[in-house]
Amino acid sequence: MTSYHFYNILKKIIMLAMLCIMAGCATTQTTDNYAKDDTLEPANRVFFDLNETIDQALIKPIAEVYVDVAPNFLRTGITNFFENLAYLNVILNDLLQGKINQGLSDAARFVANSTIGIGGLFDVATSMGLPEHDEDFGQTLAVWGVDEGSYLYIPFFGPNTVRGSTDFVPKTLLNPFYYISSAILFPITAINAVNKRANLLEASNIRDEAAVDPYSFTREAYLQQREYLIHDGNPPVTGYDDVFNVDDDGSGVLKIE
Amino acid sequence: MLQKIRKMMLEKKYFQSTMLFLCLAFCALTSHAGNKQEQIIQEPINQLHEALINVMVISNSTNFEERYKYLEPVIEKNFDINLISKVVLSRYWKSIDEETKIKFIGIFKKLTISTYVSRFNSYNNQIFKNISIDQLKENRFLVKTEFKKSDKNPISFNYIVQKSNEKWRIISVIANGINDLSLKRAEYAAIIKNDGFNALISKLEQKIDNSQTN
Repeated sequence: MTSYHFYNILKKIIMLAMLCIMAGCATTQTTDNYAKDDTLEPANRVFFDLNETIDQALIKPIAEVYVDVAPNFLRTGITNFFENLAYLNVILNDLLQGKINQGLSDAARFVANSTIGIGGLFDVATSMGLPEHDEDFGQTLAVWGVDEGSYLYIPFFGPNTVRGSTDFVPKTLLNPFYYISSAILFPITAINAVNKRANLLEASNIRDEAAVDPYSFTREAYLQQREYLIHDGNPPVTGYDDVFNVDDDGSGVLKIE
Repeated sequence: MLQKIRKMMLEKKYFQSTMLFLCLAFCALTSHAGNKQEQIIQEPINQLHEALINVMVISNSTNFEERYKYLEPVIEKNFDINLISKVVLSRYWKSIDEETKIKFIGIFKKLTISTYVSRFNSYNNQIFKNISIDQLKENRFLVKTEFKKSDKNPISFNYIVQKSNEKWRIISVIANGINDLSLKRAEYAAIIKNDGFNALISKLEQKIDNSQTN
């Protein structure tokens, strides 16, 4: 990539960051503590229902057939391949968050998997002591102090937030497949989508079994998972029991006792 | 003169040794007392984990009802279901009558037990491992543990335990960063708001029936 292209990408990221900050400032806060991030709930629910309908009718059945016919090693290879392609975005966001050691480790991971791992098909880096990390531009903005903004349910892409959706640009521009012709890009994207859906079958089945309101379940699980990732799996101890501080009349005594 | 000085030095050494011994003894005692308190706080979680391992081990040779009956007293003893029910309904708790509260607590308890029985339904050498304990408030602690499956990354299972009526019980479970109580509270609030409280009860009863087929 030439320095001109890199400068262009950086400019777009900074512009998006500014838009994000403005969006965060403009978000309306409600007094409902557990739905405060879902100011677009009516529209989100429409998109959620649309997604669920298409998923149940088309994508999930295809993913189930794929799981039945594709051997595990093939599915693992495809997962590794696409995750490796997306890893440049992880490295960028390591560095933007000041995680220099992690950035170097992830860069080495990318090189190892791309070379010894034959184009990312095999995850050799983990056994070399280079673990996988999960970073994106939404997490970077969180580390920089940008407000999350409203929860969004984006058709075909699923749950997100105003802040998190900014990752779309760097993730796309840093993926080498973005620069190849659409004749190859579309089928590759379709394979990636089916493989990802197959990997999420167990999670979606658990949700279908457990959830009494799948929309709220998905939203809450997504938002909490994002907090978990932002803190690299180790959120601060304070805040763990915030759920007990809402609508608390302080008595802690049930009248039926 | 020299003898006096020698005597004073010996007394000083004796005094220092005694003080050091007393300090070490004090540290050992407080550490032991601290460890003992940690064990008491962790006890409901240890009992739950032991029961979950057992219920997985017996899953091949028992049916859902048998595993439910096995787990029921463990959940009743180690979870503060009354408090959890109150928190999960949050602002709506005050708007329902006593009879409905009792009904809801009964259904919520059944759902909790049924969910554990259906989720922990096969054994493959899984283990639970205690990690740490952190104090959140007076009489409220966060206990961090891990659930390890043989071929996958461990899942973090963190518990909030609280002391009430001289007993430590679990009041919240956080699995891989997702607080089950927050999740349910958001869901139940959405259903009550859109469809009413009776609709929530119906959906919960349906979930209980569905879990018995897993």
